[in-house]
Amino acid sequence: MARSFQNYLGDLRESRVWQSIFRSGSGPSNLHRSQAIQQNLYLHLFSVKSRRSSLAIGVTWYLGTLSMVTFLILVATGIPLMLYYHPSVPQAYADMKDLQFAVSAGLFLRNLHRWSAHAMVLLVFAHMFRVFYRGAYRPPREFNWVIGVMLLLVTLFLSYTGYLLPWDQLAFWAITVGSNIMSAVPLLGPKIRFLTLGGNTVNANALLRFYVLHCVILPLAGGMLVGIHFWRIRKDGGLYSGKSGDESQPQVSQPHE
Amino acid sequence: MGLAVERVREMGRKLAALYRFLFGDSVRAFGSLSLILLVLLAVVPAKDYFREWIRIQSQYLKLIRNRGDAATLQRRFQGGLQQVWLPRLGVVDRCTTCHVALREASMADVSLQPFRPHPVIPHSLDQFGCVFCHRGQGAATTVEEAHSSTKAWEQPLLPARYLESSCGQCHQDAPPGTPQLNRGRKLLASYGCVNCHTLLTSSGLSPGGARMKATDDPPELTHIAQKTTREWIFAWLKNPQAYAGSATMPNFELSDADARDISAFLIDQSTPLGPAVEAKPPSSPPGADDPQAGATLYGESFCASCHAAQNAAGILTGGDVGPELTRVGSKVRPEWLLAWLRDPHQLDPNTAMPHYRFNDKQLGLLASFLESKTDSDFTANVHLEAATKEQIEHGRTLVNERGCASCHQINGIKRPDNFAPELTAVGSRPLAKIVFAPGVPYDLSSYLEAKIREPHSFGTAMKMPKFTLATSQVEALVTALLAQTDRGATVPADLRVAGHPESDYQPAGSAGKLMDDLRCFSCHSINGRGGDMAPDLTSEGSSVQRSWLLDFLKNPNTLRPALIRRMPRFNLTDAEAAALTDYIMTVYQTPAFDSASLPASSFTAEDREHGRQLFYSKYACQSCHIVDPNNDKGYIGPTLTVVGVRRTAAWIFHYLKDPQALRPATLEPNQHISGEDARALTAFLMAQTKAPPQQGGKK
Amino acid sequence: MSEKDKKFAAALDSDSRRTPVRLAFLTRRTSPHVSVKDEPFVMTWPDALFRIMVAAQLVAIALVLVSLLWDAPLEGLADPLQTPNPAKAPWYFLGLQELLHYFPPVVGGVLIPTLVVIALIVIPYFNVNIQAEGLWVRNKPQRLRMLAIVTAALTVFLAVLKVWALLAATLPMAALMAWSAGVTPDAPNRLRRWLFSKPLSFWIMTWFLIQAALLTIIGVYFRGAGWEWVWPWSE
Repeated sequence: MARSFQNYLGDLRESRVWQSIFRSGSGPSNLHRSQAIQQNLYLHLFSVKSRRSSLAIGVTWYLGTLSMVTFLILVATGIPLMLYYHPSVPQAYADMKDLQFAVSAGLFLRNLHRWSAHAMVLLVFAHMFRVFYRGAYRPPREFNWVIGVMLLLVTLFLSYTGYLLPWDQLAFWAITVGSNIMSAVPLLGPKIRFLTLGGNTVNANALLRFYVLHCVILPLAGGMLVGIHFWRIRKDGGLYSGKSGDESQPQVSQPHE
Repeated sequence: MGLAVERVREMGRKLAALYRFLFGDSVRAFGSLSLILLVLLAVVPAKDYFREWIRIQSQYLKLIRNRGDAATLQRRFQGGLQQVWLPRLGVVDRCTTCHVALREASMADVSLQPFRPHPVIPHSLDQFGCVFCHRGQGAATTVEEAHSSTKAWEQPLLPARYLESSCGQCHQDAPPGTPQLNRGRKLLASYGCVNCHTLLTSSGLSPGGARMKATDDPPELTHIAQKTTREWIFAWLKNPQAYAGSATMPNFELSDADARDISAFLIDQSTPLGPAVEAKPPSSPPGADDPQAGATLYGESFCASCHAAQNAAGILTGGDVGPELTRVGSKVRPEWLLAWLRDPHQLDPNTAMPHYRFNDKQLGLLASFLESKTDSDFTANVHLEAATKEQIEHGRTLVNERGCASCHQINGIKRPDNFAPELTAVGSRPLAKIVFAPGVPYDLSSYLEAKIREPHSFGTAMKMPKFTLATSQVEALVTALLAQTDRGATVPADLRVAGHPESDYQPAGSAGKLMDDLRCFSCHSINGRGGDMAPDLTSEGSSVQRSWLLDFLKNPNTLRPALIRRMPRFNLTDAEAAALTDYIMTVYQTPAFDSASLPASSFTAEDREHGRQLFYSKYACQSCHIVDPNNDKGYIGPTLTVVGVRRTAAWIFHYLKDPQALRPATLEPNQHISGEDARALTAFLMAQTKAPPQQGGKK
Repeated sequence: MSEKDKKFAAALDSDSRRTPVRLAFLTRRTSPHVSVKDEPFVMTWPDALFRIMVAAQLVAIALVLVSLLWDAPLEGLADPLQTPNPAKAPWYFLGLQELLHYFPPVVGGVLIPTLVVIALIVIPYFNVNIQAEGLWVRNKPQRLRMLAIVTAALTVFLAVLKVWALLAATLPMAALMAWSAGVTPDAPNRLRRWLFSKPLSFWIMTWFLIQAALLTIIGVYFRGAGWEWVWPWSE
């Protein structure tokens, strides 16, 4: 059974259709495996080879990976949620009720989005501390650390802007408390607050602003920074494995490059 | 034993093998985890499928399967999520998803919820949706969320006994279908709730709403020392209901010291009224005549129309316009009482009490009769020392604290504005803003009930006094308060039904002054102003004959002897009665017809005979009315034995044709009598002019 | 099937050392920096990617499970006139909100977070962080004096401002640092030895982490109406 399944899979891989999609071809040779990475737009961000030691769970705890996974879940759930959501007062709240009571699996979608958002904040923090304690910020990875700090801020703002969107008491007052802190900035405080909220109080304008930030600006910024973050991992010599002599090596040459 | 160990080990080995098979390397782990994830994701639509409302709908289909009307019900049943959506009112009510049979009148025999049909109401179910009246959460599709108070929705379903309150969100008139609401609104005014609490009736009238006015007529205290004693004030303050069970003054639960100081202050601030109250002895000493003469005069003057008093059996009888008089002799000073009976308007220009024109003898009789209504126990145990300055000052502080001036006029104390919380939107007050007393269920109606019943259970610092109210009164008040939602302001104007705006009609000239002196408007209503105790007089001039009216004003005899409340005799002079009659006959004419049409001379004997036949056979009027006291047995409508003396022919004619057009609230059925028949009946009735011979059986 | 019978490496055995295909193009013109180290490499596809996918699925399963079991919170419609007491920010800002309880808004809400972000950014640009030499390796007496002075100053400062939450983490931390200083690298206590090897940046970051966690936990669980202290189990 297993055998015939594998044969079947092999036939599929050799079909013209498959090969037109995955041009690298497939096979157990390292050439094929390299091509599987190189000739894929997304996988291209990875290097062809990875240090075996960096794959051990205890090294990274996969926290960066998991942060990215939660981000992808958030995008995947966020887009269908946008279909049901109006950034207006008080319709936004009514939409929450519709999601809960009328939309098929609407509540699950919202749950998954909300819990993933919390998980992402937690994971990104954990990632940062893990990277710090392993000393993975050392040259040549200094700038990637800085990008990481930016990504932490983007994550926090994404979560914070999303917090307002249900337009319930929890949302309204959490944002009110947060935005009041802004006005403590010397000189420019009230201006910054006005700019953020589109008014002097949390109102319909603030909801619209937060919606655009949450659904367009911050995800785009995050996506771009994540792209650079990943690319820099590779350009800075792959995942930091903590072995001596690894630092200060800008790039380990790879075959087929 | 060893076998068991071996088996456990074997099990362990098998489990380890299974683990290796499933998660042995990352490819296998990937495959296995993919499966687990897929299974979990498949739970999501499954969870949707097992939702409460789907189960309820299949329950309904099972319920109707074996009924006689199954075919109809099944055809009309619509499965899936149902909702009433009214964007104009912001209504999204999904209640009909489970309450599937609301419109199925044939399901009336079903008592199982949620399948009961909706009782018939004056509105279509689609006009307002469900939540507008019942509260609860319309968007929800689970029983818990839809019916109860949750974190996301504070308003639970309104208990059925308060449902009338929802009508009051739009209706400022008093619809006949909402007696409890109407009663509650009247109580808010008559118990003086709105003296302390601002309450805007938000619907209709003006953008901000009109402030509800109190109708409790609390007495001015500026001259109280002339009216009563400090001892009485003290006892009254301690427990007003001990003096008069029907008193609307609430019990402030004052300590002896506080009552002592307040009474001291009230006596101290009182100013003399002037020459009106002088100790004039009655010209004829009381009791000189028949000892029953005072009681007779009290009865003849129909004081009981407005004032209640306990009879010997302890039963309270009489009206509630004026104060209860059971123990009045313990309260008022004799010289004040005499002055009051002589002309109450001298002492209180705003009183509803008419100015009876009693002569000195009558005054003496009535005063001594009232003074005899005492209760020596009431002030027996009150012994007050002369008040000190500190006590008076403390009394002043207490009067300010307790807000006495919200209701009563007191020298040197300003009427406080907004003394108590505004109640305009109390019906939608957020529960989070309410401090609940321990043991009170967490919903608005329970809170209001508890607050009215036991204000002090919410903390001894609460200023609200305890009112003496029956359960039905409390529920009526809660109903009226629950009607004060903020919906009143958001409901589209065309859905609001404004109340009848209060008229400030004032009759002109000397007749107007006379009507004011007699306080006609305390009982009668004219052109939208006045009380509802006695008939509306707006078209009185068209409806009665001049001679009858003149006679009636001078000597109001019994129109309906069975009633306790009747027109009193004011002892008018001939000139006064004539002026009043002329005014009524000239001014209070209906525009609907000419009252001088159909003169009596136009009727022939045949007309009358034809009318008699119609009266007794075709329309069977005798089933409600009496024309011949010997044979007729109708007691529902007024007796018509002398109707020809009282009514104008034109009135009778038009009234017969369409009773409700002239008296909207009358019970008289509209029998669509033709003009010819009506004319004949009028001829017959106009012939009823002879007072019946006295029957032995008169009670 | 034994290892030797295989003609090809099994699908997962992509150790570039064992599998024979290995190419390197070296010309005279280009001389890429090839450092041959004793470091085993594996092919990213399939080794790394499958591991990543497994990790992704695990977190997805966990989140789906949580979402099936617990519903996201939703309260009543936003009402600007009705302030809940306490009004709390999202959990990750509650540490900040807790700071606002102790410091004026300019300090707690602006200065401290800005400094934290700046401090995080500059970490990799300081040689002392990069070299990461154990704090007590050199100049121990001088550094211990420094520790004592800083701790004393901080304690006085926090005590005057009554910031007990910060003090509660600072004092044990300083004690731990002093404790770890008193050993040689070959002392028998492993924990102590391990702590001895830690650089200053480790200590600062750990202090920050504990502080942030403590403040957040207090903000989430121990603050009630009027930001007064409440026990989470008292309700």
